[in-house]
Amino acid sequence: MASALSLVRPAQTSPSHPSGLASGELAGEDTLVDRARRGDMDAFERLYHLHAGRVHALCLRLAGEPVEARELVQDTFIHAWEALPRFRGESSLTTWLHRIAVNALLERRRRDQRRTARVSLVEDEDDVERAPSAGGFVAPTDVATAIDLERAIAALPPGVRRAFVLHEVEGYTHEEVAGMTGLATGTLRAQLHRARQLLIRALSL
Amino acid sequence: MNEHTAPTPDERLDALTAELPREIAPPPEVWTAIRAELTTRSTNARRWDRWRLAAAGLLIAASSSLLTVVALRTRDHARTVAVAPAASRAATPAERELPARLVSAEQGYLRSTEALRRKLDERRDSLAPSTVATVERSLRIADSAIAEARTALEHDPSNAVLAALFTSNYERKLDVLRRATELAPRT
Repeated sequence: MASALSLVRPAQTSPSHPSGLASGELAGEDTLVDRARRGDMDAFERLYHLHAGRVHALCLRLAGEPVEARELVQDTFIHAWEALPRFRGESSLTTWLHRIAVNALLERRRRDQRRTARVSLVEDEDDVERAPSAGGFVAPTDVATAIDLERAIAALPPGVRRAFVLHEVEGYTHEEVAGMTGLATGTLRAQLHRARQLLIRALSL
Repeated sequence: MNEHTAPTPDERLDALTAELPREIAPPPEVWTAIRAELTTRSTNARRWDRWRLAAAGLLIAASSSLLTVVALRTRDHARTVAVAPAASRAATPAERELPARLVSAEQGYLRSTEALRRKLDERRDSLAPSTVATVERSLRIADSAIAEARTALEHDPSNAVLAALFTSNYERKLDVLRRATELAPRT
């Protein structure tokens, strides 16, 4: 995570739109979407540069490690290019891309699970999905900083991590997260509670 | 009451979470890999679509020629056996007309093909020249097959095989047009 954090850009959020883009940029974005739908790769590249930072941040936190995060970003934008003709603009492009990223991650986990199922009985997703950067929970040695929080999030069990990142970091509602992940809202609330407990303990807050 | 109470652990976690960067730029090679993959897929898709269109055209040509030969042989055999003198005389104008149900079917096909043709013409600029050439070649083959079946039917309106050939050629022409318009993105 440290190498990825060296690429951090300042936050660019807008209270008026979930994409974080200003209204002028959004109008330009619509044009880019139309052009990309018609096969204009340069327009798609500009869309990529507008959104890659947010998608990568999400993938990095969902995956918990940089190599898989980069693969997820690739999967997300390749799928987005193919699915763009079907994008109706009912949600923002950011939300749509985030959904694709979450689906890409879940599909990878299902594949991993199928592979694991060949050799062992699977009872709990969190038992199967190991945090990639650490076998156990990482206890920070210094004060609670953003980097410590990133490390602590990366070390959360995957299901709990997904819930925390989508709800607490990205700001999606319980219902939206439930829709993206296929979890019942009750299960989601329990995972969020667990995530907070684990992070508070890990960061000694 | 003390207004400056220490934040709770939950509040401290919320504050830290709010400070997390929302954007983390991926390394430049990620876009390079995406672009390479999309270019490969696009090339393969165009190759496959051109192949399908060409195959559709060949299928029309082959099936049309074969069925026309079969249908005409059947017709000639029937005329020779049943009414030999009729085979030698020229067909009357009434005989040259298609049966009513085929006239009606043809009008429907013409409306559909013209609508698709207009759509294709509007989007033609977005297709590769080689794809346009393949589409046009397939359409010419389809038109030729339709005309051949139509002429045969005008001489033998009751021939069911020719009637089926006539409508199937229109269906194949529609199929070529549909596939071609799907290939061309909307403007």
